[in-house]
Amino acid sequence: MKKRKWLSYGLILILGLLSFTKVYNSGYQVGDEATDFKLKNVDGKMVSLSDFKSAKGFIVVFTCNHCPYAKKYEDRIVALDKMYKDKGYPVIAINPNDPTVQPQDGFAEMQTRAKEKGFTFPYLVDEGQKIYPVYGATKTPHVYILKKENGKNIVKYIGTIDNNYENPNDVSDHYVQDAVNQLLKNEPVKTEKTVAIGCTIKVKK
Amino acid sequence: MKTLVKFLLLIFPFLINAQIQTDVSLIKYEDLEKRIQQEKDKFVVVNFWATTCAPCVKELPHFIEVNKKYSQNPNFKMLLVSLDMARDKQKVINFIKTKNLTAEVVILDDNKRMNTWIPKFQKDWEGEIPVTFFYKNGEKVFFNNGEMSLEELESAINKNYNP
Repeated sequence: MKKRKWLSYGLILILGLLSFTKVYNSGYQVGDEATDFKLKNVDGKMVSLSDFKSAKGFIVVFTCNHCPYAKKYEDRIVALDKMYKDKGYPVIAINPNDPTVQPQDGFAEMQTRAKEKGFTFPYLVDEGQKIYPVYGATKTPHVYILKKENGKNIVKYIGTIDNNYENPNDVSDHYVQDAVNQLLKNEPVKTEKTVAIGCTIKVKK
Repeated sequence: MKTLVKFLLLIFPFLINAQIQTDVSLIKYEDLEKRIQQEKDKFVVVNFWATTCAPCVKELPHFIEVNKKYSQNPNFKMLLVSLDMARDKQKVINFIKTKNLTAEVVILDDNKRMNTWIPKFQKDWEGEIPVTFFYKNGEKVFFNNGEMSLEELESAINKNYNP
């Protein structure tokens, strides 16, 4: 009887700890299956990951128009798409910000920005802000690299593009490039998670 | 003695003016850590911000108001850590002047090592700003992720300070 009591105490403790970790790790971790979505692109068409039949995976970038950190990376995001689209890892950009909070991130402004910067990839609106919390994105830019495994999109990398937002010529760690190169060689990703300063996602009030 | 009083009267206006910084030091992560530890006999509020970050700029007046309120208290210290680029130093100095920032400002010029220092400050901080840390006796007692209202800032101080 006594044993059982302790067992239930232990169970309560473990459950408590589990719920605690859950609160602090909302969104995807490396190894999780990422959900597909159907979001409106700047060209007005709806885009889903399942539309890309021949893709081996995706470089999903939560980014936006207004954020200075995101702006610093625009050219590098275009370069990543050009480098990896044909190899099976296209870029899919998603703007998670609410335009009533950040007017520069409205749909018309996204269309203008995509044209100005010559985006070669879909630039999607997270309408109703439903997708970014599922992924667990907290800022812009925030990258999720996914790899198709048995028809599922498995998260392989979460973080930043490289280690110098300020100067692309002074980067010593190309996190996203390295991760995609490793995935293309069927190797495990060496650095699976990184952090960097970015703009908070602007949530509808 | 008389000359000393005279001297003090003479430099008094400069002491007042000295509250507004005319220069900002560029520091590395280790310097910032040392800087916080130097104040370990105080309650320290450390806010990470940037002139380019709208929610950061929006919450700064609350920090200045609170800093003014506690400025006479020798056991209180506020440190505003700017994440602006080193080459934007003059922009930060101008910002201090126009916004009348009376709390100490430093620029953390350590962009390439973000993956070292961000998790050292807080394990679950992914780098979004603004964030604010509260230290008591050199130990972190509270971490706030995101913009703070004046009420939230005051309540975080009241809850964790207890002078």
